[in-house]
Amino acid sequence: MRAPAAVLVLAALAAGGAGAQPISGPRLDYVLQCMGCHLEDGSGAPGRVPTLAGVGRFLRVPGGRDYLVRVPGVAHAPLDDAALAALLNWMLARFDPAAASAPGFVAFGAAEVARLRAVPLADATAQRRALLAALETAR
Amino acid sequence: MSRSHELSGRIDRVAEDAVRRLARSLSRRSFLGRLGAALAGGAALPLLPVSRVSAAEEPGVAPAAPEGIAGPEGDPASCQYWRHCAIDGFLCSCCGGSHTACPPGTTMSPVTWIGTCRNPADGKHYVISYNDCCGKDLCARCFCNRNEGDRPAYFPQKSNDINWCVAAPSTVYNCSTAIVLGVAVES
Repeated sequence: MRAPAAVLVLAALAAGGAGAQPISGPRLDYVLQCMGCHLEDGSGAPGRVPTLAGVGRFLRVPGGRDYLVRVPGVAHAPLDDAALAALLNWMLARFDPAAASAPGFVAFGAAEVARLRAVPLADATAQRRALLAALETAR
Repeated sequence: MSRSHELSGRIDRVAEDAVRRLARSLSRRSFLGRLGAALAGGAALPLLPVSRVSAAEEPGVAPAAPEGIAGPEGDPASCQYWRHCAIDGFLCSCCGGSHTACPPGTTMSPVTWIGTCRNPADGKHYVISYNDCCGKDLCARCFCNRNEGDRPAYFPQKSNDINWCVAAPSTVYNCSTAIVLGVAVES
């Protein structure tokens, strides 16, 4: 018989040790697909891996929302559309809670993710620069 | 400086730049593969982990689990150690460090590749971070190349062929750790 997830979680907690914490859902996907480079706190590596702190600022400029899905690390992640949408929403809530709880915020959905990740982003770096420049101008 | 000297100096610089770029971009594996082949025929054979695999199966050699994980821990100096299911490199346990700590004189890379391994002791899948230790030349002991869940370099976050010292203070690779981050709970 398969034990319910809650029992597994409790069993893992009972086993003790900081290293044996249960990791599940979008956070597990973040740990396995993103955290190696972006790190647990999202801070990345200056000059090499962009920080995820304040990542919701991209939502404030045209094309920014699309970029968050189409950037290769996201679009190419071996996750289905629903899991990827959940991961994006989790990431925004975790690393930019103000943006994720702003009145106009619309959560990412599987259909939107499917549509956007199907269109390759030929030059992600140039697109990122253009969006950051647009953000500067908008300030 | 004569024109010909100037030209040869320029060629030298171009060649040097190209070689440096190549050295930075080549995967560890291509080097490790050649090194492994060289070791296999050389006097370093006893350093290979084969003898340690059988040692790990004998009772009494298993050290205590450092992270509160149930069951026999196994031998962290063995390629067959359960946490090493996706490792590609030298075991820090054989290099003056441990499977959770870097050898003296090296720095742990902050960026890393992360996968999961099943612990046969409890059947659970644990999230393992293979942080590389950087800053000293190749340790060259206990080379292991197990690749469960490894993907080609076009999935960089899932590839163990990358030199993960890339974001450390020194990009010189020494050895790899295998740190448990938690238990993967499929929802």
